[in-house]
Amino acid sequence: MSFFQLENVTFGYGTGSGPVLRNFSLRMEQGEIVGILGSSGCGKSTLLRLIAGLEAPAGGRIRIGERVLVDERQFVEPEHRGVGMIFQDYALFPHLTVEQNILFGLHRLPKKEREVRLREMLALVQMEGFGKRYPHELSGGQQQRVAFARALAPRPAILLMDEPFSNLDADLKQKIREELKTLLRAAHITTILVTHDREDAETICDRIIRMAR
Amino acid sequence: MTGAALLRNLKRKLNGWVALSVMGAFLALLPSLYILLGLFAHTNENWQHIQEYMLLDYALQSLWLVLGTGACTIIVGVSLAWLVAAYDFPLRRFFAFAFVLPLAIPPYIAAYTYGNMLSYTGSIQTFLRNSLGWTLDQRYFDIMSMKGAIFIFTLFLFPYVYLITKTFLEKQSAAFIENARLLGKNSIHIFFRIVLPLSQAAIAGGASLVAFEVLNDFGVTNHFGIQSFTTAIFKTWFGMYDVDSAIRLAAWLMSLIIGIFVVERLVRKRKKFSSPTNRVTPLRRRKLTGLPMYAALCFCMLIVSLSFFIPVVQLSVWATWTYEEVLNERFVQLLTNTLSISVVSITLLMLLAVTVANVIRYSRTSVFAMVMTRLISMGYSIPGAVLSIGVLAVMISLDKELGPLYVWLGFPEGKLVLSMSLFMLVFAYIIRFLAVGFNAVEAGFEKTGNRYAEAARMLGMGMTRTFFKVDLPLIKGAVITGFILVFMEIVKELPLTLLLRPFNFETLATKAYQYASDEQIQQASIPSLFIIAVGIISVYFYHWVGERQAK
Repeated sequence: MSFFQLENVTFGYGTGSGPVLRNFSLRMEQGEIVGILGSSGCGKSTLLRLIAGLEAPAGGRIRIGERVLVDERQFVEPEHRGVGMIFQDYALFPHLTVEQNILFGLHRLPKKEREVRLREMLALVQMEGFGKRYPHELSGGQQQRVAFARALAPRPAILLMDEPFSNLDADLKQKIREELKTLLRAAHITTILVTHDREDAETICDRIIRMAR
Repeated sequence: MTGAALLRNLKRKLNGWVALSVMGAFLALLPSLYILLGLFAHTNENWQHIQEYMLLDYALQSLWLVLGTGACTIIVGVSLAWLVAAYDFPLRRFFAFAFVLPLAIPPYIAAYTYGNMLSYTGSIQTFLRNSLGWTLDQRYFDIMSMKGAIFIFTLFLFPYVYLITKTFLEKQSAAFIENARLLGKNSIHIFFRIVLPLSQAAIAGGASLVAFEVLNDFGVTNHFGIQSFTTAIFKTWFGMYDVDSAIRLAAWLMSLIIGIFVVERLVRKRKKFSSPTNRVTPLRRRKLTGLPMYAALCFCMLIVSLSFFIPVVQLSVWATWTYEEVLNERFVQLLTNTLSISVVSITLLMLLAVTVANVIRYSRTSVFAMVMTRLISMGYSIPGAVLSIGVLAVMISLDKELGPLYVWLGFPEGKLVLSMSLFMLVFAYIIRFLAVGFNAVEAGFEKTGNRYAEAARMLGMGMTRTFFKVDLPLIKGAVITGFILVFMEIVKELPLTLLLRPFNFETLATKAYQYASDEQIQQASIPSLFIIAVGIISVYFYHWVGERQAK
């Protein structure tokens, strides 16, 4: 049995427009990095929102391991899913420092462990010394690393990344792509990465899925 | 979707936030329901009398007031908006702000100020007689009339049209107007053929706000002796003690309002012009020189003086005559009353506004969200007099239902607890101004978007913790803005307060009104100036927030 599974997931925004996704299925093994490639509007971001629990599918089933996240009868709220997500524009809380941003998802840990995990994450993304800064005081690449640390800190079962490079300059992109690849391998985390850029997907992912409209 | 999935979605969406919002929206709807039910109740003799001799008159008078004021505010508001948005002339920035200031002066205060200034013993005629030796025909000074009321309403309500039209012109119209200029059209042609048709929706929006304000008014029409719907409601209620007929009148007025609402929607429906691109180019202003510049300056000066400086100066002069008599412990009591009831009402109001806004932000286009928004905003378009009758009716029937409970609590039989208490006034304030607070909060949510909240959910925080840790810090500014705007509205609200306050409970507004109607106009100046000061602070704050956002 595979680690993560979507079965026949169907979803449409409102009535009138047809379904964005129809009977979409996907299986992933633990630690696998899957890239989802498609032009804008093909429903790839919607797919991430469904896995995250930010939208509810009209039909189908999503599960991690033995645990069902959503099917006909049940719906696990996003805060209880154990899914991490890096948003397209990172969505770092502007009123919190880098440290506070990373600590945000660690509220279920005892106090001492929080501090340890924070140091660990800052070290992983090589951002020690930036803990007291606010997001707007960081460069685009640094913001992305903080977003990565924040999403990984609570040890999610699966990590979702929505167009992680769309906010970066072209010359920076190549370097950060490599960086991210190393980070993902080091963390050994199951990841779904959504992008419209074939090169992004080819550099980072084990497997690529093309979505058409 | 299968039944199981429906049940799942329902379970997913039902939580404390939603329950609270639905309850709030239902409470906001309740008074209007009671009033509309009044249309189906049995009529009594009074009503026969009212219907036969008075109803048509009330309706016509109200209609003339609305149409006259509407037309004049559109003329003044649109021309000033165009002047400020499209031309550059000395003091332009000052005027751009000064044209909003009249909003700080409630029309009823302006009405008795001008009424007194223009009377035989008032400052203007005294000056003409004593210094210039002129004794003019009294007809020239007759402001206590329909024309006078339209004059007052126009001067103090035109900012609604001005503000909305100006914002539209500054942000949306540049491309069209510049193209027309390039095509060699002159200014007059551009104004009538491009600006006016383009800003139709904005103008209709502003003018309908003006219409609601006029229909809400009690102070001006009562002081000037005009038989409008609102004054008629007061008379049947307090003169004839006939609440049923008052409710029926209110129901008719509400039908009229719904009519205006529908017309405005129809005008706006397909006329919502905005440029198809998102790129907003601000309108480049043309420099005025020579005669046109002086004409523009004079016009702006005239409007600002009439609609702000003259009444404020007159009130200040009166204040110096009477402050020793008016400023005493009773006045302190007045301030405490006003402040405490405002703070209590606004706190509850903002709690509800924030709750509803937080619920509907995730599904802004859903039917549920639209219904909620409508219900929440309804109170603002219902005139104070109508709303207060609805609230009174609700409270009286609640008191009847709760009668046994009161007896059990030790009150005497037949005691009216809710309908004699401040609770009723607080409830009415909340319904009436919920829209003001809600719009401010919603703007805040719209600006921050949902992604921070979604990020917080993904990091394991529930809806409530997300709200306190992420949303609230981010929309703090919007909540404060809402607080201040509602504060201004409550402080100057007259009809609602007059009708629903407990016996002997005075606020700044009711005291100013009482002085003025007792022919103690000079004494009224001090509470009036306090109200105006609150208004100026709110208007300035609002302007400042707007400027900061523009940057």
